[in-house]
Amino acid sequence: METMDREATQTAPAGPACEASDLDAADAVVVARGITRDYGEGDAAVHALRGVDVDMVRGRLTAIMGPSGSGKSTLMHILAGLDEPTAGTVEVDGIEITSLKERELTQLRRDKIGFIFQTLNLLPTLTAQENIELPMTIAGRKGDGQWVGQLIDTVGLADRLDHKPAELSGGQQQRVAVARALVGRPAVLFADEPTGNLDSKTGDQVLDLLRRSVDDFGQTIVMVTHDAHAASIADRLLFLHDGRIVYDCGRMARDEIFEVIKSLEDRR
Amino acid sequence: MIRIAWRSLLAHKLRSFLTALAILLGVAMISGTYVFTDQISRAFDEIYSEAFKGTDVTITRTSSFSSDYGAAVGGLPESMVEDVRAVDGVKEANGYISGMGAIAVDGEVVETGGSPTLFFSYVPSAMSATSYVEGDPPTKPGEIAVVKGLAEDEGLGIGSPVTVIADTGTYETRVSGVFTFASESSLGGSLLLNTTFEDGQLWFDLDGQVSEIDVTAADGVSPDALATRLRAALPEEADVKTGEQAAADASQQISDALGTFINPVLLSLGGVAVLVGAFIIFNAFSMTVAQRRREFALLRALGALRRQVMWSITGEALVMGVLASVLGLVVGMGFAAGVNALMKALNVDIPTSSLVMQPRTVIVGLVVGISITLLSAVVPALRATRVPPVAALQEGATLPAARYSRFTPYVAAAVAALGVLGMVNGMYGVGSTTQRLLAMAVGAVLLFVAVAMLSKYFVAPVAGFIGWPLTRVAKTSGRLARDNSMRNPARTAATASALMIGLGVVVFVAVFAQGLKSSFVDGFDQVVRADYVVAATNYLTLPGDTARRLEYVPAVDTSAGVNIQVVQTGGAKKTTTTLNGVEPSTFSKVWSFDWIEGDDTVLPKLGTDGALLEEQTARSLGVKVGDSFSVQSPEGEKAGFEVRGIYRDPMMLVGITVGDAAYDRLSPRSQLYMVLVTATGAQGADKAALEGALADVPTADVMTAAEYKDMMVGSINQLLNLLYGLLAMSVIISLFGIVNTLVLSVYERTREIGLLRAIGASRRQIRRSVRYESVITSVIGGVLGILVGIVFAYVVTTRFGGMGIKFSVPGAQLVVFLVIAVVVGVLAAILPARRAARIDILEAIHYE
Ligand SMILES: Nc1ncnc2c1ncn2[C@@H]1O[C@H](COP(=O)(O)OP(=O)(O)OP(=O)(O)O)[C@@H](O)[C@H]1O
Ligand SMILES: [Mg+2]
Repeated sequence: METMDREATQTAPAGPACEASDLDAADAVVVARGITRDYGEGDAAVHALRGVDVDMVRGRLTAIMGPSGSGKSTLMHILAGLDEPTAGTVEVDGIEITSLKERELTQLRRDKIGFIFQTLNLLPTLTAQENIELPMTIAGRKGDGQWVGQLIDTVGLADRLDHKPAELSGGQQQRVAVARALVGRPAVLFADEPTGNLDSKTGDQVLDLLRRSVDDFGQTIVMVTHDAHAASIADRLLFLHDGRIVYDCGRMARDEIFEVIKSLEDRR
Repeated sequence: MIRIAWRSLLAHKLRSFLTALAILLGVAMISGTYVFTDQISRAFDEIYSEAFKGTDVTITRTSSFSSDYGAAVGGLPESMVEDVRAVDGVKEANGYISGMGAIAVDGEVVETGGSPTLFFSYVPSAMSATSYVEGDPPTKPGEIAVVKGLAEDEGLGIGSPVTVIADTGTYETRVSGVFTFASESSLGGSLLLNTTFEDGQLWFDLDGQVSEIDVTAADGVSPDALATRLRAALPEEADVKTGEQAAADASQQISDALGTFINPVLLSLGGVAVLVGAFIIFNAFSMTVAQRRREFALLRALGALRRQVMWSITGEALVMGVLASVLGLVVGMGFAAGVNALMKALNVDIPTSSLVMQPRTVIVGLVVGISITLLSAVVPALRATRVPPVAALQEGATLPAARYSRFTPYVAAAVAALGVLGMVNGMYGVGSTTQRLLAMAVGAVLLFVAVAMLSKYFVAPVAGFIGWPLTRVAKTSGRLARDNSMRNPARTAATASALMIGLGVVVFVAVFAQGLKSSFVDGFDQVVRADYVVAATNYLTLPGDTARRLEYVPAVDTSAGVNIQVVQTGGAKKTTTTLNGVEPSTFSKVWSFDWIEGDDTVLPKLGTDGALLEEQTARSLGVKVGDSFSVQSPEGEKAGFEVRGIYRDPMMLVGITVGDAAYDRLSPRSQLYMVLVTATGAQGADKAALEGALADVPTADVMTAAEYKDMMVGSINQLLNLLYGLLAMSVIISLFGIVNTLVLSVYERTREIGLLRAIGASRRQIRRSVRYESVITSVIGGVLGILVGIVFAYVVTTRFGGMGIKFSVPGAQLVVFLVIAVVVGVLAAILPARRAARIDILEAIHYE
């Protein structure tokens, strides 16, 4: 069954083609093999992922796209150690994570992983600065002041540091969240629709920030998105459909992305 | 609507359970108190009606006044028995002797935990409630019979030696028989013994007298008619009652004793518990309403009237109130059984009958439980009606402020003013003691409420302050805990207030008791010059010759006794006070009077008509040195005295102090309360010598001055521990309140906790932050409670300063209470912290 699924992945789909990504999979931060994820059992079972092999390349921004329900979030959660696959293995920065215990996972999240969610990324009681430094505080580490300063400059919120999240706009909040996710220099940063709740202008600021963190700091980012515009900043695009990766492309322009999305939506 | 309410209760099982528990325990304490005291009253009813069963009329010596202390009155002339027999309609009349004392087995006094050891002479009559189960009644001098329970406890059989200690001396006896009284093998904690008539007269100093005459009526003569005839035939000093009346009077006395102390104390502790419960209910409903904000908005958007929203909440409160109160009644039975067990553990023996729930108990329990629940839910319900329909579309779970919330400080000030008024009225106002105590209690409750209302304004800075050390200990958890506890000040305030009330009362009691103890110790140190104090165990008196006998001990310098009896003074308005009789020539050697007027030289010149007055008695009698006043004993003896000196001594020699000669004018029988001894030799040797001299008086307890103080302080402590035990209930209830609040806070913050976990917070850190939040809340409650308790105690002790109670803060104990507050916080956090730590990150992220 599994092998069949895997073969299906390899089969080139009918529809618009894309240029395969030319990234060197040898330098992968995240290595996933044979990931399946089922919800429920028997006839009622939902196969959210049906066998996914993927390598997330160091220092690149990878976008995961696909129609609603195709398994994007599920895949991201599994890669980030938030969820366990039904079968398959995941390595993050050389550590096999599917067999880790709770405590080790916590340590992993502290050391190697950063997160940005669609909304409510910040603790309402803390100021922007405190939110940015929160991962360091939690880990009981002394923050690298210079690095924090650099991040604050990058996200452009030097004058808002003492504000509570409620006093910041949605875009500003997301920028704080980006800084927060970068502060620990994680091996990989996962973002689930980070611009999903923003208008295009503020969304652009956030995307620009993500792009720059890849270019300037060599950050590895995995971003789930619905938005073709957001995906166009990615170095590589993975398209999921029905729990499988159906396209694995290099940089794409917005129109090309639209076309792929459209073809996938037509498939159902 | 009830169905919606029921669903809502079921949907929030844990919260409903914890909230209901708060009211349940309060109701249980109140109904349990009634069940407990009703049971005691009933037990005594049964015993007395059995004891007087065959007796149609009973005659005793008339007491000139009745006092709470059960002052002993003497007997009737023995010849009166014949006079009674001569009255037409009398079938049988018997005189007998009764008296109180103590017994010792193998040289050890048999302890009764405060209940009396009662002796009465055996009368072979159908009237007698005694029936022999073993051996025979005493017939020869030196024979004694014991009640079955006593024989069993002490392993006494026919022929066993028993030492009798009475005011007149110590007597060796042997057991002739074992009996049951009114079919009981014991009567509460009291010990019952049968003596011969002659021994009784000798032991209890009733030569030629009888204590009581019991009469049966001839056929066809009603007890009432016979009593009337006897009253006409006998002199004034004979108090004639029907057996029924005597039984009723006797058990009424018990009920009164319960009604003036145990009942009010237990009920007010129950009241404190209910008050604490009210805060918890208020808080729980406020939180429920906040959480269901969208639901209410939706209902309103769908066209529900405000009234209907209001109903859905009060309906929920009603269901909860009814359920909790009914269960509370059931648990109340258990509470009564628990108090029984507690009493037994503390060696307080009380007669018990089956536990019964009277209609009054049910009504009070239900009314209090249900009305408090409803009242506490009204404000939250009103706020729910103010949720606008548009809230259905908004984020967040903040409630609109109550319509009049901006007036809160003024309302709180008004409530506080009323509270102060109540306290002042209670302390300085007129009216009966009960009314004044009630005014004080209401005042205290209002002050508590005012502090609680205001606390939401200062809880945030206080939380910040208290939380500060925690942010040092554990940066993240401490910081989060502190921020979270400051986030919803009203909620933190209400939660902390519940603990504040329970601890406030505990602290009040502790500070007040500390004042009492230190005043006693100071008072004792100030006046007592003696090295040793000899007092009787079991609240008895010492044999009258004790002081004299100790003078023969070589090392003894001075040995002086204090006799005490209750007397009545004053003209038109009679007051009861104590009369102390001392040896005028030697007393100043053991006692250092704090003279206001006069000096030690007046003592030897007191004679038979000179008296010294304690300051307060002088004031209440309105007399100065040189004035005269008169005193009456319970037996009706009167004597006039002239004031020769006034001293201050609110703790030890209260009332009137006279010389032995004057004392004897009022009461020929000795009532030696204690003997004070100064000695020259080494402490240990002296004590042994004193004990040796009193070897035949097992009730005499020879103590150094320090030991005596310890004993008195110890008996205050024992009472304190009982109170603490009962107050613990309120503290436990407030603990549930904290659990309740935390569970909800954790629930509301599910998403935040998930986020924290996602960015690397460990389960332990999450647990710790919840625990710290809990501790911050409980410490706020503890600090407030300690402050309020100290203020109350200060106000009350200042008011009663004249009675010699000083204001003294037990510092070490306050630290203990603060630690208890911390422990309450830690315990309360266990469950919510575990829940918080178990939150699944993925679910939390998807959670709205
Ligand atoms: N906890 C769950 N229980 C059962 N089924 C689930 C659960 N979570 C996800 N699924 C199912 O798994 C499939 C993949 O879900 P997933 O959330 O990964 O989709 P997605 O690509 O992120 O969609 P969207 O773009 O709408 O966020 C869907 O069919 C969804 O219904
Ligand atoms: Mg998704």
